[in-house]
Amino acid sequence: MTLAIFLFISIILLGIQTAIPFLVKRTIIFGITVPEKHIKNEQLLSYKKRYTLLVSLLSLVVLAGYVIWVLGTNPGEEPTVLVGTLIQFGIILFSLSLYFFFHGKTVQLKRKNNWMENLKQVKVSDLSVRSQDEMIPWYLFLLPMIVTVGVIGYTVFQYDLLPEQIPTHWGINGEADAFTEKTPMSAILMPLTLLAMQVMFLGIHIGKNKSGIKLSATGTNASRIRQLTLRKYSSWLMFGVSFLLTVLFSYFQFTTIHPDLFAGTAMVAAPMIFLAVTLASTIAFAVKVGRSDKHPVDETEEAINRLRRRFILERRSLLFQPK
Amino acid sequence: MIIRIEPDSDIPIYEQISNQIVEGIARGLIQPGDSLPSVRAFAADLGINMHTVNKSYHLLEKKGIITIVPKSGAIISSPLDFNEISFGRLKAVYKPLIAESLVVGMSKEQIHELISSIIQDIKKRN
Repeated sequence: MTLAIFLFISIILLGIQTAIPFLVKRTIIFGITVPEKHIKNEQLLSYKKRYTLLVSLLSLVVLAGYVIWVLGTNPGEEPTVLVGTLIQFGIILFSLSLYFFFHGKTVQLKRKNNWMENLKQVKVSDLSVRSQDEMIPWYLFLLPMIVTVGVIGYTVFQYDLLPEQIPTHWGINGEADAFTEKTPMSAILMPLTLLAMQVMFLGIHIGKNKSGIKLSATGTNASRIRQLTLRKYSSWLMFGVSFLLTVLFSYFQFTTIHPDLFAGTAMVAAPMIFLAVTLASTIAFAVKVGRSDKHPVDETEEAINRLRRRFILERRSLLFQPK
Repeated sequence: MIIRIEPDSDIPIYEQISNQIVEGIARGLIQPGDSLPSVRAFAADLGINMHTVNKSYHLLEKKGIITIVPKSGAIISSPLDFNEISFGRLKAVYKPLIAESLVVGMSKEQIHELISSIIQDIKKRN
């Protein structure tokens, strides 16, 4: 079991670390801003590949060694945990130092090729982009909060009905498995936690709303679509998660007050449903935003082609001008 | 309408913004009655200081091109009757430019031609 847990975490860690150069913004390579027309540079691509290959190969070899060692010699719980933790830190440290190595290489490459020469920095914005912004209004986030206040009020009202032992922790099956003594504070502690989380979601939403809609000068349209999609769906996701959390926490609070309220109903599966829906909507969000700017034709290319066509037309009209 | 700012240009940023908004109105990309984004949002979108946008809006307000309504933002004014004040102000702006053109040796016809070609350019790309 210990081996399985460490292996699982290490593999997720490894997956993220190896994919880092491909997950970040396309124009930022190992932390260096590279002009858009150079991001397909072969040297840069080979840096990315070498990073990914080195990190994944070495980590896989170490992990394989770890598995063989644990299965072969059966060293017991403590050494397994110790070595497993060391390996995780090892993966992080190794990939970080490799990242900085390629960071330096990219700086050199950028300087050597004078990529920033003849380039002018421009900042672009669209006057109408704010009116196209479809983030949901902030006051919607107050609705779940009102529910929470209601739950707290109901708890205070039904204080006598509450058991002497207030649950503080629930297992995956929705059964309480840790308890604390009943005090006015511990009775409403859970809805209070929920309220704090809802305030946090509202805060994130407001922060996102106030942040700039940054457009790329070379791909104005694509970046606008991406930004607007990100803003819209992240606000939906925030609201959805806030709503689901409210349902889940209220369910727990109500089952504490009335243990038989939901017995035998589908609500017993609430925690599992919560997990599944949250995961599914997060994936849907990531896919939706990730694909948003992939559809339109690459604008830069389109603009260059248009210029080229016009140039050809003009040359042709020059050739065929009547003398 | 797309606003494009060059931070390294000799023209101050607030002037670049107001110039482009004026040009956008002249080209018909933005109409009287349209509202401009709020100072805070626009500054965040462009990644520039709020005061720069504010300065630019106030410049436009002084010229009578936009009206700033507290709480609802900046709105493009309807075309004004061409009046004495704008005439005097524009004359003061034109004068040194035309003097400079004469000094560098442009003829009267060339100046006329330049002006009509600029007007044509603005009207054409509408």
